Amino acid sequence: MVQEKKFYLTEKGLEKIKKEYENLQALKLSKIKGESPKILHSEDLNPEYLSFREDMSFIEAKITELENVLKNVVLIKVPPKEKQNTVNLGATVTLQEADGQINEFIIIGTLEANPSEGKISSESPVGRALLGKKVGDEITITSPIKVAYKIKKIKYHFT
Amino acid sequence: MKSLLNFLLETNKLKEIPRTGLVWLGIKNPPTVADHTFRTAIAGWLLGQKNNLNAERIIKIAFSHDLCEVYSGDLTPFWGLLPKEGKKRKEALKRWVRLPLKEKIKREKKEFEKEKKCLLKVIKPLNSPTREEIFSYWLDYKKGRSNEGRFFKQTDKIDSMLEALERLNKKDYSLVTPWWEEAEELMVDPLLSLLLKIIQKKFYNTKFEIDKTTFDKEENAELESILDFLLEIRKLKRMPRKLWVGLGVRDPETVASHIFTLTIIAWILGKENKALDMEKLLKMALCHELPAIYTGDLITPYGRVLPKAKEARLKVFEKWPRLSRKEKENKFARDYKKEKLALQKLTRKLPNSPKKEILQLFDEYKTVSTPEARFLNQLNVLVVLLQGLQYQKKDKNLPVGFLWEWAFEKCDNSICLAFMEELKKKFYGKKFIYKILYLLKRKNEKD
Repeated sequence: MVQEKKFYLTEKGLEKIKKEYENLQALKLSKIKGESPKILHSEDLNPEYLSFREDMSFIEAKITELENVLKNVVLIKVPPKEKQNTVNLGATVTLQEADGQINEFIIIGTLEANPSEGKISSESPVGRALLGKKVGDEITITSPIKVAYKIKKIKYHFT
Repeated sequence: MKSLLNFLLETNKLKEIPRTGLVWLGIKNPPTVADHTFRTAIAGWLLGQKNNLNAERIIKIAFSHDLCEVYSGDLTPFWGLLPKEGKKRKEALKRWVRLPLKEKIKREKKEFEKEKKCLLKVIKPLNSPTREEIFSYWLDYKKGRSNEGRFFKQTDKIDSMLEALERLNKKDYSLVTPWWEEAEELMVDPLLSLLLKIIQKKFYNTKFEIDKTTFDKEENAELESILDFLLEIRKLKRMPRKLWVGLGVRDPETVASHIFTLTIIAWILGKENKALDMEKLLKMALCHELPAIYTGDLITPYGRVLPKAKEARLKVFEKWPRLSRKEKENKFARDYKKEKLALQKLTRKLPNSPKKEILQLFDEYKTVSTPEARFLNQLNVLVVLLQGLQYQKKDKNLPVGFLWEWAFEKCDNSICLAFMEELKKKFYGKKFIYKILYLLKRKNEKD
């Protein structure tokens, strides 16, 4: 049997998904009834309102997608103290390079990733290269042109 | 219609905004934002379909993702970080942005707000449902709200990387390091990760093993063929429209840029006609000029050979060619055959499904055999006319009468006719009013 894909989420991320799921269910119901949903107080360009404007097929596909996420969710938790010196999901990793430049990432699940904000998916090449590494470890991430990083600090805290 | 026209006039500015990253690499005549949008939409469509994603949604995300750049310019994550001094600046550009987390979050928020503000300004003239739709797709791109949004963002980065690789000499490939670094922070889709390896193999001659648990050799070959196709269609991003070259327009739009405007107008005006298949319409717009890669940009119905002397050339364009029915049929048959052969050559290595689809879409467009094809053919004329009128604003001697004649011959769809009326008002309205005022004044004086 093919194993279902797991979705790693922070508590905040899970709350967001749950809320989105509830909103989409409400929107679907409103659409079926042909009325404007109560959650929308104005026709502002907010995500709920925009979802309401989507086709029913998109809303249904999105609901199915979120159901699958909620069924296969794994909550990202702060690891026990003795494991906090290793990069795992939820870790903020500080890297330092030969030129002294600092670069920081937080390792997170795919659904919450946004590299522009420094949120890197554990499934990205950078995320994969960092997982399991410790302070002082050197890693080469970039290909085809090799660039070496050194892990300076690993921190766990969720905001 | 007035609001749509104003929106198009604004978004047409993207045909003149060069891609910042390539400007920094010192590339001459870099692709514009509109050129980039054309290919990244096709890349998203072809690759996304392999992942069973919704092609219509991906194309719409592609056409929404950079619209804000009309006002924000092509912002890159380097904004505000580069030293002014040339040498130091060059050095800083050798690597991708490296910053503490807090700084990244702060900058992203600022960039998001700026782009949001600019996008809202761009889409302001449009009606509320269209505005919301475009904003929603842009948000999907920025925040990854759907599988399509997340997938397209990755495809977009691959297209940017290809833009750099295809324009640089091999000895300068090290300059592409920041693109690789960015891709490696972002790439999570297994198909696109494999595509990255294929790109490495193609440009850097690196070897790699296929992860057989996810892909087989056939899938690898299919991706290679899609990559070759994408590299080939880049030629449209550097191919100036022959009509404008013939008319002596400086730095005219490229074929890819023309496709950009046509696809946008097809999306927005296509919404007005619920009977049309939107996905088909958008894909048809993206495909309708693909044969030009091998045939060159054919100026229907002027033929390919134009007089070399400017005056003689402009004379040819004074009026729409008068041809007998037989001559028209022959010209059509000749061009159609040539273009069909060209498209077969271009798509020959593509997987069967997209190959058939592209050939079918082009065939329908060319033979005007479906409602989508009829609508798009008319829009195509109007888009050329709009561009001509814009160029005429800069050079009042530029003839556009022949384009009006063409539009009068071709358009019968009520939506297209309404848009044509709007063009008249926009570009001749004032002159018309002044003429009336002048006549009234003369009449009053006489009285």
